[in-house]
Amino acid sequence: MEYFEPRSVSEALSVLAKHGAEAKIIAGGTDVMVDIKFKEEPGGLVNIKKIPGLSGISENGAGLRIGPLTTIRDIETNTLVRDKLPVLWEASHQFASLQVRNTATIGGNICRASPSGETLAPLLVLEAKAKLAFGDGEKSVPFTSFFQGPGKSSAGNTGLLIEIDVPYPPPGSKSVYLKHAVRGAMDIAMVGVAVLMTPESGKNSIEDVRIGLGAVAPTPVRAPKAEALLRGKPLSASLLREAAALAASESSPITDQRSSAEYRRWIVEALTRKGLEQTWKAATGKEIA
Amino acid sequence: MSITITTKINGHSVTATADASTSLLEFLRDTLEMKGSKLCCNTGECGACTVIYNGKPINSCVTMAADANGAEITTIEGLADGDKLHPVQQAFIDTGAVQCGYCTPGFIMSVKALFDRTKKPTAQDIEEAISGNICRCTGYNKIVDAIQLAAQKL
Repeated sequence: MEYFEPRSVSEALSVLAKHGAEAKIIAGGTDVMVDIKFKEEPGGLVNIKKIPGLSGISENGAGLRIGPLTTIRDIETNTLVRDKLPVLWEASHQFASLQVRNTATIGGNICRASPSGETLAPLLVLEAKAKLAFGDGEKSVPFTSFFQGPGKSSAGNTGLLIEIDVPYPPPGSKSVYLKHAVRGAMDIAMVGVAVLMTPESGKNSIEDVRIGLGAVAPTPVRAPKAEALLRGKPLSASLLREAAALAASESSPITDQRSSAEYRRWIVEALTRKGLEQTWKAATGKEIA
Repeated sequence: MSITITTKINGHSVTATADASTSLLEFLRDTLEMKGSKLCCNTGECGACTVIYNGKPINSCVTMAADANGAEITTIEGLADGDKLHPVQQAFIDTGAVQCGYCTPGFIMSVKALFDRTKKPTAQDIEEAISGNICRCTGYNKIVDAIQLAAQKL
């Protein structure tokens, strides 16, 4: 197995141009090291941790710029994230164990493109973007189109994620991330649901709502039909039921060792209902009509 | 491909070579013959391999040995001062927080890291600190007792 330790983005890109097809990028290693031991050893490893400038969290206009090498623990303990992007904080806080959070990076969680990646549903509802570097230039890709299948993303095998741009959610909005797993944080989510709700100024109806679903489709997905149904309306008990059922129908879960597809659909419905209810109450101060 | 790794383990500088695919745990146990850190799940879930890496507890089984280059690492072998055990080690003995003992080095490293962060951990701090360590004998109550005892002595 070949091993590369590029010292700059351009050096990494030339290594990937040559070896991207058989080599794997490694950062924290919490997923790739397991693959090496239990699946197949890749033809090479490109350790990107020595590239300067790819780690850290800073304010960038009306949002945060997060370096892909930032660890989940650094996100969890960052006060800007906690204040401005609580939905991302919640997902980071519920992410595996302290040991894993200390090494795993947000870029790794993203580029792994696992449907159950803990930070992904939150990034979808935050309408965050990935900045990717390729041999012929940089590209900004919204996460709503970044994920292409399990393990597949717009970065392909020659691109490098160099920045995550997360705009602040609209003023007055409230968000929540709900995870369903047997053993709490240590476990991989059976279902993860992120909801971000913005009420109209009178707080009588929903101006905008975004619903992100994790672990229930080949990629993390939004639930556009349920979102469209809710927009412009006050949240009544019947609308809540209808929207949650619609979100469940927009998921396409599989059956695996963690749970059956049918069970996952029920959980999507239950968590969507809970998420909408919580964010509505928090954003408007009103009960469900 | 073989790489050369220079690192500081328990305060001592060490240089050795290892294959690029080697984990830090394999490097410690097989290359350096330091068998205190335990191999168990080998997937980053059970915490038996926990070491302190640049001040933070990590699972050495899912960390590249290559990342030890230039880092400072503390393992269970580095806690005692000669024959005098570290207060956390002594507290595990005094409260009977050891059953089969296999998870113990990992737990102790997580608890050592906890006390490096705070000398007065809350119940929530304790729960978070050891949430990544699994005791198959399920001796958790005694382990929490040990942490509370160590907190009084530190």
